[in-house]
Amino acid sequence: MDSISLELQLRRIKSAIEKQISHPYLERYIPKPFIDNDKLMILTSLMNTTDLSESKKDHYIITTMLVQVALDTHDLVTNQSMEKESVQHKVERQLTVLAGDYYSGLYYFLLSKLDDVDMIHVLASAIKEINELKMSAYYNKPDSIQDWMRVVKQIESLLIQRVAEHIQGTEINALSGEWLLMRRLTKEKQHFLKSGQSELIHVLTGHELSNNPSKQAIQLVEGTIQKCVQKMETAVNQLPFQFNQLTSYVHALIYDYSRKNTKVVEEG
Amino acid sequence: MKLAAAYSYLKTELNQIEKTLNETIHAKDPILREASQQLLKAGGKRIRPVFVLLAGSFGDYQFDRLKTVAVSLELIHMASLVHDDVIDEAELRRGKPTVKAKWDNRIAMYTGDYIFARSLEYLTDIDNPRAHRILSETIVELCIGELKQMEEKYNLDQSIRNYLRRIKRKTALLISSSSQLGAIASGAPKEYEQALMQYGYYVGMSYQIIDDILDFTSSSSELGKPAGGDLLQGNITLPVFYAMEDSDFKDALRQTLAAEEKIDPADIQPFVEHIKKSNAIDRAYAISEKYLNKAYEALEVLPNTRAKHSLTTIAKYIGKRKN
Repeated sequence: MDSISLELQLRRIKSAIEKQISHPYLERYIPKPFIDNDKLMILTSLMNTTDLSESKKDHYIITTMLVQVALDTHDLVTNQSMEKESVQHKVERQLTVLAGDYYSGLYYFLLSKLDDVDMIHVLASAIKEINELKMSAYYNKPDSIQDWMRVVKQIESLLIQRVAEHIQGTEINALSGEWLLMRRLTKEKQHFLKSGQSELIHVLTGHELSNNPSKQAIQLVEGTIQKCVQKMETAVNQLPFQFNQLTSYVHALIYDYSRKNTKVVEEG
Repeated sequence: MKLAAAYSYLKTELNQIEKTLNETIHAKDPILREASQQLLKAGGKRIRPVFVLLAGSFGDYQFDRLKTVAVSLELIHMASLVHDDVIDEAELRRGKPTVKAKWDNRIAMYTGDYIFARSLEYLTDIDNPRAHRILSETIVELCIGELKQMEEKYNLDQSIRNYLRRIKRKTALLISSSSQLGAIASGAPKEYEQALMQYGYYVGMSYQIIDDILDFTSSSSELGKPAGGDLLQGNITLPVFYAMEDSDFKDALRQTLAAEEKIDPADIQPFVEHIKKSNAIDRAYAISEKYLNKAYEALEVLPNTRAKHSLTTIAKYIGKRKN
């Protein structure tokens, strides 16, 4: 498959996901759900290496992405129910809860229409594991920062990894783990630098970091990102040739990262 | 009359279901485990498992298969309750602190997602695609029902038809599916399956209407919250529709509800009193009665067994329940 065909395929699937989750009442009050392009890219590339029918490939990508959207949506549910909270804020929270439940119901609905009980099992088990991991990442202090990073990596990549195991395409797992952790940390870092807020960095600063915890946390995050990129480089070079599209994409990502980083060092 | 008396012979099975519920949500993470157990401890009537078991007796009764369905349905119900408590900002459920109150919203979200996922994972032991199709449709309808309820809050110009559609999605469908899935899991004849599905639907409708009536007629201590709580939250239920036939009442209510979430609970009380004194409650009871009669009719096709007797008694209980 050439890069234009892949691009078209990604667009088509993304639009199918958007159609599935579209709900006029929700759209009136809460932002459109976030569809993770990296995860979509990984899943699509993974499915394209299989002998599954085109429609089954689409269904697997769409239902897995629906699960991801549902999980991401519930992560947005705010914790404080402040007394002076605005009505709008309250309604947004209520609808965010319902939206996540709705998207979650949709994946089950689609797979049950296809009589694909095995895939229902795979996705449900992954959701179960991810929620366990989220609890340990955000509420139970891991033994070390390395442990904690490992848990975050699992939260980001476990869904895809379980699907990959189901369709016997686990060659992708090492790369997706590093890639998705790198992306998550990059986003958290950018968010923190912009707004001073990041749940992950907040956990890190509380993790026995001494003087200037924010600076130290950022350094830790940057160091981990760099390691992820190195590991991505190794992992991508080990992918079988069927993944050539993905390989080029990841090489471009790594190049982009190195270029930006060199620039920062030079300007430093 | 106590509801449990109607199916006391199921005690052993229900105890096993309780045990399995406990085992199924035994999470590795200590907080997640405790939060899930908290819900179990808050109890409940376990009415969905009861419907599964009773319906299952009209086919080849295999407890293990029925248990799988019963446990899954109860878990789906429980998962929706944890999330509902976040939506309603509820502090107590059956006198015990909600997950959201004891921990926080985020933990309640993870707990609900975990329990829902466990439920589906567990149900995949039943390799019957039709059962999954029915349940998945029910779940999506349940979500749409919740969204509709939000959308129709404080809207006094909606129709009774809207209300009936809403309670169908909110309550009746899951009860109806419980009965139908019990029948499917035991391979009951199609005719019985259909009858049980209809029975569940009618009983569910009646149950919700009575729930909505009790929100006006029960005391604060029985409800664990002030009467008229539904109206305070902007939920327009059947007694309100009847009371609104009086245009003065409707105008006054419209003015009060215009403040939406900022309404003082005391402002609702005169409306509650008015509804209690009017014939709105009796008329709502009459509709509930109609649904119950339809439920009895649906049962006619079934053979005269102990389970059929229990289903009839449950419907009677629902018609007369006071809390």
